[in-house]
Amino acid sequence: MTRPRRDPRAERAAIRVPDRDGARPRYDRSARRPGGGRPRRDPRAERAGQRVAGPLRLRYDLGQVAPAEGPVRAEPAQRTAAPTILTVEAPDFLVVAVPDMAGGRLSAHDRQVLGAARILAGREGGVAVLAVGAGAGYGSAGADRLISLDDDPDAYDPAGRAARIAATLAALKPRHVLFPETLDGGDLARRVAVRMREPLFGNAEGLSPTGLIRPARGRSIEQRAAPGLLATIAPEAVAEYAGPPREARLLPVEIDASMRGAQEITQEILSAIRIPADPATVPLGLAEFVAAAGNGVTDLDTFRRLVAVLRATPGASRVLCDAGLMPRQTQVGASGTVLAATCYLALGISGAPQHLQGVAGCEHVVAVNTDLHAAMIERAGLAIVQDAQLIMPALLRLLGQEAGDPGDAA
Amino acid sequence: MKIAILLSAGRHPVSGAAVLPRLEAQAIRLAAGLGQHIGLHAGPEAAVVAEALGQGLAHIQHAALPEEADPVPALATCLAALAPDLVLAGRRGQGGAETGIVPYAVADRLGYPLIPDIIAAAPGEEAGTLHLDQSLGRGARRRVTIRGPVVATVHPDAPASFAYAYGQARRGVIEPVVGALAPHPAPVPAVEERPYRRRPKLVKGAPAGSSAAERLKAATGEAGPASSGRLLVRPDPDEAAREILAHLRRIGVLAAPRDPR
Ligand SMILES: Cc1cc2nc3c(=O)[nH]c(=O)nc-3n(C[C@H](O)[C@H](O)[C@H](O)COP(=O)(O)OP(=O)(O)OC[C@H]3O[C@@H](n4cnc5c(N)ncnc54)[C@H](O)[C@@H]3O)c2cc1C
Repeated sequence: MTRPRRDPRAERAAIRVPDRDGARPRYDRSARRPGGGRPRRDPRAERAGQRVAGPLRLRYDLGQVAPAEGPVRAEPAQRTAAPTILTVEAPDFLVVAVPDMAGGRLSAHDRQVLGAARILAGREGGVAVLAVGAGAGYGSAGADRLISLDDDPDAYDPAGRAARIAATLAALKPRHVLFPETLDGGDLARRVAVRMREPLFGNAEGLSPTGLIRPARGRSIEQRAAPGLLATIAPEAVAEYAGPPREARLLPVEIDASMRGAQEITQEILSAIRIPADPATVPLGLAEFVAAAGNGVTDLDTFRRLVAVLRATPGASRVLCDAGLMPRQTQVGASGTVLAATCYLALGISGAPQHLQGVAGCEHVVAVNTDLHAAMIERAGLAIVQDAQLIMPALLRLLGQEAGDPGDAA
Repeated sequence: MKIAILLSAGRHPVSGAAVLPRLEAQAIRLAAGLGQHIGLHAGPEAAVVAEALGQGLAHIQHAALPEEADPVPALATCLAALAPDLVLAGRRGQGGAETGIVPYAVADRLGYPLIPDIIAAAPGEEAGTLHLDQSLGRGARRRVTIRGPVVATVHPDAPASFAYAYGQARRGVIEPVVGALAPHPAPVPAVEERPYRRRPKLVKGAPAGSSAAERLKAATGEAGPASSGRLLVRPDPDEAAREILAHLRRIGVLAAPRDPR
C-alpha cells in the first residue's frame, strides 16, 4: 500500500498570500486541504455564529440546542462533479492483469490484482486487462487498456486458454503479468508459466514497484524478489485502485496464426459438467445464501418450504436448536457455525451478540423482525419491521406467481 | 487401473519435522478406491516419505537425486517407465518453496493433460476414460470426463486420509529406481530470504489514504452496505416480499424468474 507522497513546500507555496510590504510571508490556511478525510472545524466562525447581536458588551448564546451558523464548511462543489478520465497515450511498458471474471464480473480479488498492476505500472506504464468475454468496470478498477481474449467463457479448456494467453503475451511483450491466486487463476498462471518456460512468483503477499514478497516453508520465512514476468497475487494483500477512472481502451492484438497453440483445444477432455452445490446439503459454513429462523418464527413448515423455494441453506438461532425445532447443525453463531455467506436472511432473530458473531462475515443481511430496535435490524442492509408469519407466505405467493402456477410454489 | 502418486518431502510448518503433506495422504485414499497404486519420490532421502507406507501405500519407488537437483526430469522419466493411467499429486508442496509448479511441469514433459483440485475420481464408462470431480469452492463441483493418462492435483475438500497403521508401515517397501538418472540442476530463483513477518490486514472498504476515523468505520461495518440500509416499517406484506426478492436478485443470490412476464 503506497499513498501519494505529499509535497509540503509546494502546498504551502500555493496558499501564500501575495503581500504588500513583503516583511514576512503570510499564508491563507482557511481552505481545506484536498484529500483530507473529515471536514475541518472553524472555531472562529462557530464563535461568531453564537454572538448575540445587541448592546455594547459581547454576549454569546452558548446553548447547545441551536446549530451554530456555518461551523462546518460544506464540501467544495467540484469534488462531486463527474471525475475526468485519466488517459495514458503511449505507455512506456505494459503490465497485464488476467482476472478470473467468475460469472462475468470482476470480483474483489480481481480488482485487487488490477490495483497491484497499477502499482507496478507507476506513472509511465499502462495497465492492460486481459479478459475473456465482455465485462464492465475495468476503467474504474484501474485499467488503461482492454484486451479481449477470443475464447468461450463457459467452455472448460484451461490448457487451450493458457495457450491462447501465452500467445497473446508473446505478441504483446508486457513487462509484468499478474494473476489472482485462486483455484482458477492459480491454475492458469502455472500453465502459462510452464508453457512460456518462465519462473512464476506465486502467492505474493507484499508488493511494491521494486519487490514482491511471498511466504515459504510454511510461513517460517519470506522470499523477496524484483518483479519478474509472471506472478500471482494472494487475496486481501493489495488494496484496490482508488484513483480517478481510466479509459480501458480496446487494444487489438495481432496473434500470429502460426503461433504455437493459438487455436489449440484439449482433445482428451470429453465433457465437463458443472454440478452446482445442493443448498439443502452443503455445509452451513460454505453456503452462499443462508435463510435462518429465530424465536420469532412459529410456522416452521412455511419456513422450510420458503427455504427450499429460495434455494437457500437453512439456518437457525440457538433458541430453536435448543428447543429441538431445528437440527443442531443448522445453528448459526458463536457456539454454532460461523458463516461465510454472501447473503443472510434473518427471520424473527433478535441479533444477540453470540448470534451476530456468526454473521460477521456476511456481506449482505436482510432482516425481518417485529421489533424496530432489534440489533439484527440495525445490522441489516434491508430491514423490514413486520411479522414474519405474514412475510413468509407473501414471499411464497410471489415466488409461486413468478414460477407460473398461482397458489402453489414449486 | 494403475495410479502413481507423487510424494514430496514435506516439513511440518511449526516443528520442521518430516511429515507427509495432508493432500498426499488424501491422494492415497482416492487412489485406494480405484486400483493398483504406487508412490513415487525423487530426492536425496527415502526415509522422509516412509510415513506414506503407514497411510495405505504398499509400494514406493525412490529416485535418488542430489539435494539441489530438479526433481521434474527424474519424475517424468520414472512415470514414462511406469505408464500409469492416473498421476495424483498435492496442490502445493509443504515446507519448501511451495510454488505448486511441479505437477504442471511433469504433465508438460509427459504431454499429459492436467486437471487441478479434484475431490473424487471414478473410472468412466468407456475403457481408458475417467470421471474426475473438481472442486469449484463453496460446495460446487465440475465433473470432467477425460481420456487418460492424466495428471490430477488433489483439493483439501477430498475425503479425509486413512488412519496411520503401524503394521502396514512395517510391511510396505521402498524400492530404489534402478538405472542412473542424470541429475539436472534446478533453476535457482533469485530471491532474498528473511524471517516471515505478518503484514497488517487490509481494511475492506476503507478508501486509500483515508483518515483513522474512516478506517475504524469500515472495520466495524458502519460504512458498509449496512450503514446505508433501507428500513421499511410496517409495510404491506406483499410489498415487503417484492422488496426482498428484488434485493436478493440485485445481490445475485437468487436466480431471475424463469419466465419474466
Ligand atoms: C455462551 C452462549 C453462547 C451462545 N451461542 C449462541 C449461538 O451460537 N447462536 C445463537 O443463535 N445464539 C447463541 N446464544 C444465545 C443468544 O444469546 C440468544 O439467546 C439467541 O440468539 C436468541 O435467539 P433469537 O433471536 O431467535 O430469540 P429472541 O431473542 O427471543 O428473539 C426473537 C426475535 O423475534 C422477534 N419476533 C417475535 N415475534 C415475531 C414475529 N411474529 N415476526 C417477526 N419477528 C418476531 C422479536 O422481536 C425478537 O427480536 C448463546 C448464548 C450464550 C450464553
